Amino acid sequence: MSNFSQMIAEEEIALVEKPEKSEPLGLLFWLCVGWIGLNIIGAIFANVLPLQNPQFQDYNALNVGPSLHHLFGTDDLGRDLFARVVYGSRISLSVGAGSMLIGFGIGSPLGMLAAYRRGRFDTILTNLMYVFLAFPAIIATIAILSFWTPRSLIKIIVVIGVASIPLVYRVIRTATLNVATKDYIIAAKVQGATDRRILLRELLPNIAPIGISFLLIGVATVIALEGALAFLGLSVLPPTPSWGNMINESRTILQQNPWLAVFPSLAMCLFLLCLNFIGDRLRHHFDVTEVKL
Amino acid sequence: MLLGIVFIISVGSFYLIHLLPGNITTVIEGPGASPSNQAKLYKLLGLNKPLFQQYFIWISNVLRGNLGTSFISQTSVASTIRAALPIDLEMMFLSQVVAFATAIPLAMRSARKPDGWLDRIFSAGSFTLLSVPSFIVIVLLVLFVSVKLGVPHTGPSSYAPFNQDWIVNLESMGLPTIALAIGSFVVYFRVLRSDLIATLQEEFITMARSKGISQRRIMWRHAFRPSSVALLGTAGVNIGGLLAGGFIVQYLLNIPGLGYTLIQAINESDYLLVQGIVLVVSVGVVLINFIFDFVINIVDPRISRE
Amino acid sequence: MSPDNEKLLVVENLATTFSTAGGPLPAVGGVSFELMANETIGVVGESGSGKTVLTRTIMGLQQRTNVNVTGSVLLDGHQMVGASEQEKRAVWGTEVAMIFQDPMTSLNPVMRVGKQIDEALRVRLGMSRADAKVRAIELLELVGIPSPEHRYQSYPGQLSGGMRQRVVIAIALACSPKLLLADEPTTGLDVTIQAQILNLLDDLKERLHMSVILVTHDLGVVATRTSRIIVMYAGRIVEIGSTREVFSAHRMPYTRALLESSPKVTNDPHTRLVTIPGRPPNLLKLSDGCSFAPRCSFATDQCHKERPELQDADEPGHAFACWNPLPATRKRTVKTT
Repeated sequence: MSNFSQMIAEEEIALVEKPEKSEPLGLLFWLCVGWIGLNIIGAIFANVLPLQNPQFQDYNALNVGPSLHHLFGTDDLGRDLFARVVYGSRISLSVGAGSMLIGFGIGSPLGMLAAYRRGRFDTILTNLMYVFLAFPAIIATIAILSFWTPRSLIKIIVVIGVASIPLVYRVIRTATLNVATKDYIIAAKVQGATDRRILLRELLPNIAPIGISFLLIGVATVIALEGALAFLGLSVLPPTPSWGNMINESRTILQQNPWLAVFPSLAMCLFLLCLNFIGDRLRHHFDVTEVKL
Repeated sequence: MLLGIVFIISVGSFYLIHLLPGNITTVIEGPGASPSNQAKLYKLLGLNKPLFQQYFIWISNVLRGNLGTSFISQTSVASTIRAALPIDLEMMFLSQVVAFATAIPLAMRSARKPDGWLDRIFSAGSFTLLSVPSFIVIVLLVLFVSVKLGVPHTGPSSYAPFNQDWIVNLESMGLPTIALAIGSFVVYFRVLRSDLIATLQEEFITMARSKGISQRRIMWRHAFRPSSVALLGTAGVNIGGLLAGGFIVQYLLNIPGLGYTLIQAINESDYLLVQGIVLVVSVGVVLINFIFDFVINIVDPRISRE
Repeated sequence: MSPDNEKLLVVENLATTFSTAGGPLPAVGGVSFELMANETIGVVGESGSGKTVLTRTIMGLQQRTNVNVTGSVLLDGHQMVGASEQEKRAVWGTEVAMIFQDPMTSLNPVMRVGKQIDEALRVRLGMSRADAKVRAIELLELVGIPSPEHRYQSYPGQLSGGMRQRVVIAIALACSPKLLLADEPTTGLDVTIQAQILNLLDDLKERLHMSVILVTHDLGVVATRTSRIIVMYAGRIVEIGSTREVFSAHRMPYTRALLESSPKVTNDPHTRLVTIPGRPPNLLKLSDGCSFAPRCSFATDQCHKERPELQDADEPGHAFACWNPLPATRKRTVKTT
């Protein structure tokens, strides 16, 4: 009898601890992933794709509106706007990928190590990073780029990437700290697991969700920053098209041809919206609490 | 901490000119280089001395308000900055007033019924706007308001100083204010809304309800103040972005604030002016952040206790 | 002031159901009882038995859309079930007030203690700022806070847990409610403070002629302070009766298990406490039978299939819900092997 009741009781425990139903990602999420994928493919294979030459100036078609021949129309020099938007994505994407590679490549190992080791290493590094965080990255980026001439894509990537290190460091350090103080990490230490094993096998998988969603939002932020720099004339120089400098060029002839501003803006906004949406969804999916950028 | 940050900023700003390629004097002075100008520059920057001595010569000049004289425009850097700074302050002040005045009531409405239709619209709208970089907002807004609608005193170069014609000044500030306010509004709305929703789950809100006081009173007296801490913190962090947005507006509309002056200086290779603006702006941002931290300490007795 | 034999609160067939992703969750299912003026009743049960939900439902504090409340709560003539927020607001504070479980979270951390007491006085009783302050300081004194003028200016963070709970009590008493709901008022406090707060409540109840519903999981708390006890399990009343009856002549095996599992001073040293096997049931998967059956050593087939309703015991006012009750002996001594 008591065995029987014990059995039922145990079955009910199983029922109480019902499996966590995680939120489904949804159709919109996959649409966004698709759009990002399409942009990446377009950027990589721009030379191979059947696009018009983005530098070719057709003086018979200056400032024409969207048509079948010129999907987005042409600019004031008769260059095909669609081709320029696709080629322009190369700059934005390489800045997004490259500078985040630097930011995460340096910031996240430092953040993890500092949170895992603690002690003086952590104290010094964290204070240093907080000092750098105190002044706005955009001012520092503008300042360095205006003196470090001549400008090039590599320099832009390096400057933005380095400027993002303190922020990445802080996010990863906080995330690691939350995990590193959990009992199972202490248990692993007590069992004699090597530091390397704990960092890579125990800590990394646990902070990866936060890292990934922050990475996506970071890429979006960096692309917007490069756009602003290009708009101010501090990024790659024309005639190389980038979304930002295309919008900048359109500024003087907004009156005659508003499409010049609209299409690159639209391309950029849609790309950033998708990135943010994916990042946000993933955060909900992994149940990560709001990380402030 | 504050002094440490200001020190690092000053070292950074000082070192900037050493990033310049080639001979510093010829690059800074541009085509108008002359022996007397060179001597002036050497005196200001101590260029023939070791690097750390150069810094002390430079910083002692800076502390006396001497940021050097531009070799391009032959005017003192400090006076140029003094002329431009009020425009930035006016723009930032106006846009923050508008942003807070719209974000706070809307976030309060949204948080009262999370997932209600009003909240859904505002949340989706603010999420979309969050993805639009501020320079695009500004360009599209100008495109719409001044090009399409043709509203007067909104286009490029329509700025008038406040003490010259304050009506035209305010009119010309309207568009920049709105453009900057949108970016801040989106951030403030989202932060305040999510913090309010969390605050409203707290037991002390249930306790306040059990006293039988009105919902309006609960929202403003009990929920808003704890949540405003998050709002103030965000506003402090937001200053950097706001300033950058201001630069872009000024650049687009030819408003002679610090941003416009900065871009102009960069394009004309007026490096001493760039250095001066960078220094002033960075220190200004740090100071504003510091003031925000101070205000937060007053608003939230939980922090000052610890 | 109501005379002693008047019914202050009549709860009839009260049910609170939350709609959750896993289906409807009946947190409180068909509870009926009455409370006289100036009476103290204890509500006991394990965590998850629906005690807290019951008190919040009586007060009508649930505001979420996913809650469904049926039945009736008649509080001094006011029907609380289905009442609008505005109607309930008129009752809150003046008719009924609540003391919350955890004084660390139930006070607004960024509002001075005095302001939190003032608020009810000014909004509900229309007192002037100066009058409210005088009254608030009186209340702080009443709940035994030393140097009340000074404490009036404090933030909750500057007070200890016991002090904070006294403030919570002062707020609850501000508009002289007829009924005080105390939801585990001492669980968040140090053991040494617990007795002080309970004694304070006892004392205030006598002086201010209130009725009190004292919710707790600790039978020791209700033993000397209540006239009647309600034992709850899985959202239902399984036994109700005078405190003396429930302690000495309980019929429901769950009540006995609950009594046996709390330590007593009369126990021999090193006496093992009896634990109740298993866990409280999952409210999403309640069987048609007695909810306690899976954990009950007396359970029969009938217990698993059919839910027992409350039936009267010999003593008037004593009822229990059990198919195989313990024999009706007087002076039952609780086994503590």
